[in-house]
Amino acid sequence: MSDTNANSSGGWLGSDRRRLLIQEYGIFIAFVILVVVLSFSNPYFLTAGNISNVLLQTSINGVLAIGMTFVILTRGIDLSVGSVVALAGIVSASFATTSASAAVAGAPYPVFVPIAVGLAVGVACGGVVGAIVSRFAVPAFVATLGMLSAARGLTLIYGNGRPVPALVPEFRWIGTSSILGIPLPVIILAVVFAVSWWVLTQTRFGRYIYAVGGNPHAAKTSGINVTRIRFLVYVISGGLAGLAGMLLAARTGSALPQAGIAYELDAIAAVVIGGTSLAGGVGRVTGTLIGALIIGVMNNGLDLMGIQSYYQQILKGALIVGAVMLDQKRNQNA
Amino acid sequence: MKKFMLTLAMGTALMASPALAQEKLKIGATVYGLNAEFMQIWTSALQQHPAVKNGEVDITIFDGRYDALVQQEQVNTMITQQYDAILIVPLDVEAAAAPVQAAVDAGIPVVGSNARVNSEALTAYVGSNDVEAGELEAKAVLDKMGCKGNVVILEGPIGQSGQIQRLEGNMKALEACPEVKVLEQQTGNWSRAEAQTLMENWLTSHAGQINGVIGQNDEMALGAIEAIKSAGLKVEDFAIAGVDGVTDAINAVKEGQMASILQDANAQAQGALDVAIKAVKKDYEPESDIWKQYPQMEWKDGTAKDYLVPWTPVTTENADKLLEARSKL
Repeated sequence: MSDTNANSSGGWLGSDRRRLLIQEYGIFIAFVILVVVLSFSNPYFLTAGNISNVLLQTSINGVLAIGMTFVILTRGIDLSVGSVVALAGIVSASFATTSASAAVAGAPYPVFVPIAVGLAVGVACGGVVGAIVSRFAVPAFVATLGMLSAARGLTLIYGNGRPVPALVPEFRWIGTSSILGIPLPVIILAVVFAVSWWVLTQTRFGRYIYAVGGNPHAAKTSGINVTRIRFLVYVISGGLAGLAGMLLAARTGSALPQAGIAYELDAIAAVVIGGTSLAGGVGRVTGTLIGALIIGVMNNGLDLMGIQSYYQQILKGALIVGAVMLDQKRNQNA
Repeated sequence: MKKFMLTLAMGTALMASPALAQEKLKIGATVYGLNAEFMQIWTSALQQHPAVKNGEVDITIFDGRYDALVQQEQVNTMITQQYDAILIVPLDVEAAAAPVQAAVDAGIPVVGSNARVNSEALTAYVGSNDVEAGELEAKAVLDKMGCKGNVVILEGPIGQSGQIQRLEGNMKALEACPEVKVLEQQTGNWSRAEAQTLMENWLTSHAGQINGVIGQNDEMALGAIEAIKSAGLKVEDFAIAGVDGVTDAINAVKEGQMASILQDANAQAQGALDVAIKAVKKDYEPESDIWKQYPQMEWKDGTAKDYLVPWTPVTTENADKLLEARSKL
């Protein structure tokens, strides 16, 4: 890296880093264009209330997508998050309900108990998957597909196939309250994002994640404990899925066994739209956040315009494929 | 779930001893999916039927896992294993017609319950009329609005028989109030979370204009209530209704937040079993209490084609009783 390359925008940048920035700007510009178009086509779009709505509606997918980013950066995938959302939601809710038929003995407990339980369930699911992927060399697709099925089954057994209603107000507070006018789930998403950004860009652990995804063999020879890194990214993804499950239950007021079906697909979509490569090693959590916002803004905008949700699905599909096509083209040109 | 596993185990044990199996009637039920609360209640009600409890009938339940093909294969299994009768709660009106025909061709009577099958071969249908439900719930909303103002409709998955028929009923009721305008009509796929998002967005794009919410099931109506609350509006200012009478909805009715009408899973399941037994055992008399509970639904010696279980509007008066009955299943 030399100062002779005195290009005003990126003199100090390596070419990889510059490409990533351009890519990120590309997504950011797409996001801005979407917002501008929607605000011209609908007068309500840019109101404070609606912006708060969009952020709120993005919070759950955002949290899941950030967890997914960690996994995909190591060349993995986590298909189990939707089922883990349901399992963590229903188990934690059973500690926070006043409904006699759905509660565990002694419920409702003080709110930190159900929260700890929900996170523990997510971390445990992630731990199981992580161990299978990292120790037994089972492909992530297969291991997490197994967890997708098993966690859903556990959810149905645990709740007898019925929802856990009547959650105590303190628990619902996680999903429904606001601080200084900002909904708490949005604040939670912001915190998750900030911590993840810091971990991935500023810590050794973060650099190891990129190294493992970029070239596992080189990472291993340079002394990185690849097994441990691979294990931990699933724990992070599982723990965040547990958090998302509680947010969902708290928002809807009841933990449903059918909750979270196909949520993994929206999370993966956000990561891919955000420019993270499924081949591992390349990508940013900032891109993921913008990817999640693009999906949220699009759904919200089309709802405001009264367009059938089926069109939303077509647009989302086009967006996912389009984002990757652009990415491939850029890689070829570089 | 434990009870269900036990029944499965018992079913297998009985198949191994044909002598015993001949005395007992072997009846199988395939339901579209056990993930939903309503089907859970339906299957527990079936297990509570007097003929099952006193050992006259052995019941096996198959989970259709929301796949029409899975249900078809389950019917084929029941044909091969020579079940005496089959109950079916189909995922799809049309897709279920072929397996029903196959069973009837093999000499096994099939009774439909809860959702219709487009087939003449069914012995009978024991369920509720969704058009009526759609009309009743829309009427509850319109009455509260005084036949004036704007409504939004949260629909089931487009093309499912429940959505088609409940919408037909919704429209029937809306015809009586020509001044009422439908601002939005979209699918929330029976899901509380999806309906909540839709309603949040509609409260923005039609700020201050929505007076009523017609939810084609309770889950979606409950999602709308959550959206109204989170927008800082008063739920009492809206007329809201759903269908099914799920536990959360009964509680919401108690709090004066919505109207709901109960679809009686117990009567649908137990009634269907009585009709199925009668189709096999000519001297059988119905044993379930439901025939006394709904005298307007006549037994007619088990020969009618349609047994329509009446809907029960959930009110603040009967809510506690309904919840109590629910806790026994």
